Amino acid sequence: MNNINIKKISIRFVIALKEEAQVILNYFRLKLVNEKTIYPIYKNEEETHWLIISGIGRSNAAASTAYLYSYSKASIYTSWINIGIAGSDKGNYGDLYLVDKISTYQRKKSTYPSTMPKSTLPKMHLFTSDIPISDYTSYELIDMEGSAFFDIASKLTSKEFICLMKVISDGPKNDIKEITKSKISNLIKVNLYKIIDVVSYYERTSEAEFLIIDKPELFNDIKSKWHFSATQSFKLESLLRRIKIFCNKKDIEKLIKNCETSNSVINVLNLKIKNNLVNWSKF
Amino acid sequence: MIETIYVEEAIKNHPRTKFILKNFKKSRIILIDKYGEIFNKRNQNFRIQKSNPCLILAHKKDGFVLPAPEGFGIGSSKNFYFSHMYNCIYDCRYCFLQGMYSSANYVIFVNFEDFDIAIKKIIEKNINTKVTFFSGYDCDSLALENVTGFAKHILSIFKTYTQIEIEFRTKSIQKQPFLSLKPMKNVILAYSLMPKLMSNSLDNKAPSISKRISVISELASKGWKIGLRFDPLIHGENWKELYKELLENIYNNISIDCLHSVSFGTLRFPKRMFKDIFKLYPNEPLFTSPLSLNNNMISYDIEIEEEMTSYCKNLSLRYINEDKIFKCSI
Repeated sequence: MNNINIKKISIRFVIALKEEAQVILNYFRLKLVNEKTIYPIYKNEEETHWLIISGIGRSNAAASTAYLYSYSKASIYTSWINIGIAGSDKGNYGDLYLVDKISTYQRKKSTYPSTMPKSTLPKMHLFTSDIPISDYTSYELIDMEGSAFFDIASKLTSKEFICLMKVISDGPKNDIKEITKSKISNLIKVNLYKIIDVVSYYERTSEAEFLIIDKPELFNDIKSKWHFSATQSFKLESLLRRIKIFCNKKDIEKLIKNCETSNSVINVLNLKIKNNLVNWSKF
Repeated sequence: MIETIYVEEAIKNHPRTKFILKNFKKSRIILIDKYGEIFNKRNQNFRIQKSNPCLILAHKKDGFVLPAPEGFGIGSSKNFYFSHMYNCIYDCRYCFLQGMYSSANYVIFVNFEDFDIAIKKIIEKNINTKVTFFSGYDCDSLALENVTGFAKHILSIFKTYTQIEIEFRTKSIQKQPFLSLKPMKNVILAYSLMPKLMSNSLDNKAPSISKRISVISELASKGWKIGLRFDPLIHGENWKELYKELLENIYNNISIDCLHSVSFGTLRFPKRMFKDIFKLYPNEPLFTSPLSLNNNMISYDIEIEEEMTSYCKNLSLRYINEDKIFKCSI
């Protein structure tokens, strides 16, 4: 996992079939959770990576995404990844594509997922259908879950944290009826390292966001020593974020050591900033 | 490198769309209905988008020219602004555009001719009034000139109406179309500047101060009117020495006759906007400055603002007359 501090990473996979998920389950060492769940849910030991088997179709994709969010207590910095097979007559059988536009029969307007920057993977427009389609001519990629996954995931986080990847499994030259469980597993397997590369990007994105929104180092310590109201807590957090740029932990502790009330803590920190002359040569 | 370009279906065959797309042969083009489907939607992360923005080509329907906010002017009784683009290729940490839109993608409106019509209407309505137009309020007016050709296009209006002023406010070092044209007395090329040390930290992705000064000097020597915009003034250690060095460097290196105006503005964020920007960039040194809430604006204390403005103004008065100095108060 690229030396990332895994405690700060948060990844959720939504995958329709067990056969599509198996390689991911193995690679990330995800194990079935030890209790009865509506959809099968897997997680790693550190609980940073979770995977749900949604089953086929838009309803399942939507319901399972929402269910995984709630069950795994996903965060605003969680990255959501949908991986699966898709039909196409535009791309090559077995190739992996990122999705940057999604359409459906049900909705006039398309949606536009972001894609990982600077990727060499090709991108395509996905059409999500409720029934298997054998006429491939009108669309670049066809699946049965993508739009619903994206719609729900978009309500849970920013679209920069959502990714859809599709491997072409059928088309005019590869009959959909010939797809077997082992073919599906193999299609994902041969693309595993490309998939891992994309997942790594979303791990880094998730971690970077965590580091930005995480409470400043001393926040909880200070809050445990003095009583802060909700408004004061907000002020304290903001002041600590600003002060830590030019003041180390020890100096901050020294500053507030003799404060008797939460108000005086805030006043002391405020005064420190008020008197700060930014040394621009340091930045 | 722009990886993805969204193009409104209705303008996919517009000649200007084709002209712009020629610059991005490797980009992926995605057709959309309206730019609002991509731009300024909720659930977007501005900071992540800003690291790899997309371009959106769109058709603007209304609001081509708007009255400039009070305090934006440089001496005219009526001030208007227009923006052929939303968002900026630079990433300056004090810029209000960080809190303006929830999307960091760039929108370029290709129907320049509708801007022409709106500008001409305002000119005709105010024929006996001193009017200034400002290009680039929601963007940098020249930063993408090599792609859009907007400045070149719009200048033709101001060739006809020589009594009407237009200001292009920029941090770019784009010299065209000005180097290939005869200087126009009613055109002001206004450059945002601050000491190098501060600019290095705050003006992300923008050309260096020395490059900007070199372009100012070159365009001034060709006879173009120059505006100097020290907006915002940035506080910090040795700020007096830093601003003295900057101001003297500029005044000693450009032809003073070509100076149209100099303006000083203080660092100000509306409260709500500051909250959004601070949330995006909580580790920014700018926010360790002594900023506080005054009249619903986050700014330096009034004493700091006044000291900085009068110090820079007094230094400038050694080189230019007072009637060329303005205070930018938005």
